[in-house]
Amino acid sequence: MNTTSVLYEVSHVSKNYGSVVALTDVSFKIHAGEVVGLVGDNGAGKSTLVKVLSGAHQPSEGTITLEGVERHWDSPHDALEAGVETLYQDSGLAPDLSVSANVFLGREKYVKGVLGKLGFLSQKEMDIEAHENLEKVGIAVPQSGRSVSQLSGGQRQAVAIGRAVSWASKVIILDEPTNHLGARQAGEVLQVIRAAKARGLGVVFISHTLPHVLEVTDRIVVLRLGKIVADAPTNSFDSQSLLGTITGLIE
Amino acid sequence: MSKGELMDSVKTRVKGILGNQQVLLFVVLILMVAFFTWRNPIFFSNAVFGNILSDWAPIILIAVGESFVIISGGIDLSVGSTVGIAGVVAAFEMEHLTTSHHSQNFTLIVGLLIAVGTGIIVGAINAFLITKTHVVPFIATLVTMGAGAGLSIVFTGGGPVGGGPENAISMTVPTIGPLSKPGIIIVILVLIAWAFLSKARFGRYTYAIGSNSFAARAAGINVNRHLAKIYILSGILAGLAGYYYYLRLGVGAPTSGQGGELQAIAAVVIGGIALTGGTGKLSGTILGALILTTVTSGLIIINVAANWKQVVVAILIAAAVLLQQLRSRARK
Repeated sequence: MNTTSVLYEVSHVSKNYGSVVALTDVSFKIHAGEVVGLVGDNGAGKSTLVKVLSGAHQPSEGTITLEGVERHWDSPHDALEAGVETLYQDSGLAPDLSVSANVFLGREKYVKGVLGKLGFLSQKEMDIEAHENLEKVGIAVPQSGRSVSQLSGGQRQAVAIGRAVSWASKVIILDEPTNHLGARQAGEVLQVIRAAKARGLGVVFISHTLPHVLEVTDRIVVLRLGKIVADAPTNSFDSQSLLGTITGLIE
Repeated sequence: MSKGELMDSVKTRVKGILGNQQVLLFVVLILMVAFFTWRNPIFFSNAVFGNILSDWAPIILIAVGESFVIISGGIDLSVGSTVGIAGVVAAFEMEHLTTSHHSQNFTLIVGLLIAVGTGIIVGAINAFLITKTHVVPFIATLVTMGAGAGLSIVFTGGGPVGGGPENAISMTVPTIGPLSKPGIIIVILVLIAWAFLSKARFGRYTYAIGSNSFAARAAGINVNRHLAKIYILSGILAGLAGYYYYLRLGVGAPTSGQGGELQAIAAVVIGGIALTGGTGKLSGTILGALILTTVTSGLIIINVAANWKQVVVAILIAAAVLLQQLRSRARK
């Protein structure tokens, strides 16, 4: 890949929480149409890096650039507006809301006229579009009017991923998207990731399930104790060497 | 239809009814009206219904505010004292304007603005404590509840504040069926609140925050700003309730909202809104408040000691909570 297609980049990012250092001098790039695996043991700093990438936390040092322009996310809203979507581990959906309300949360569609200006929602339109958007990214969810709490774990995860993928225009960050999923459902999620890649999105895939990482990514970034210890094409790893790099047995 | 199929169809029916708290509440209300009428036919009259709706009007105002707050995952304990202090502060100003010979209508309008303004101030203090200093809503509103109740007594010495416009008290007399003009305005306000909660972005964000505030924030919603709006709305509605009490009593009484927060929370819970946030409907609160005020009037009319009211309310709350649990279990 040449440098001109760099989509999203963090350079020399550090993050401290008081005296606790979570990230030290982290730099890596995501290209358009590339799936980058982000792996590391518990406490390696993956969650912190996800929060920095998604705008939920601000880095203590370092810069973030999107398509060559330096960006400062003050909130997740800023990142979303710029086309950077994040799927958070386990907590991306409001369970009491319907599927379509979740898909359109923060991006509601309004009825026309004065009522629309007052914030009155065009629910029917959202129900239909939510269904279409999810179908487009390869996710079949029963009725979009159903509340998320009535769905199975796999269906919920599918909705969360479908929502993120259908809205993302540039980068999508998936934090443990295959967690708690059965083999078939996990396979569907990986298929959605491949589809996102085919659309030219930059994908960051965070997972503990190394076979999934090896299967779907182009490049793997390994974090250990808040530092990047490896950043190499996926085909240079096998499951043994990847595990060794994560745990520190292989330096 | 086989016996098994019949049982299944009955089960689905029962589940459907359990799932619709509004229908159940409506049935309870009708049964209550029937019972009280059976025990004393006077109950079924325009005068009694007018009285029930006059009691209902201020309670539904604060209960609507409380519904938004509780659906967002919070609680507002300050609404009762806000009713009191808003009525008192407005009464002082209206007394002043009356003694300096301003017209009654002008005085009443200024009083209304002062009452609403007082509510906005209390709501803004709650919002500040909750969103800026991150005090949990229970404690933040407990603080303003105590301060508000204390200040109303300090300002007034504990007695009512009169000397305002003389036509105030006549305004809450029912003129259109069992409703007075302010009563009709309150019904309209409640309908507007219902529309915004169930059909508009304001309500959507309120449910989302109560359901999962992290998800709401991740979706780009400014959670703190929305919560601030909700607590200020609750303050405004409490201020309006304070003004309504002023009209009804003809004086600003520091104790007029005493216990109002508990009545509001009772109406909300009986109406089927879960204290955990994220679920429930305003139509439930409307019926819940109506049931509360019907019990109050009904027990007086059938000559039962007033203290029994609290027992009946307690039973209703217990039944509502039990039903909620049954329903969430049925869903799983």
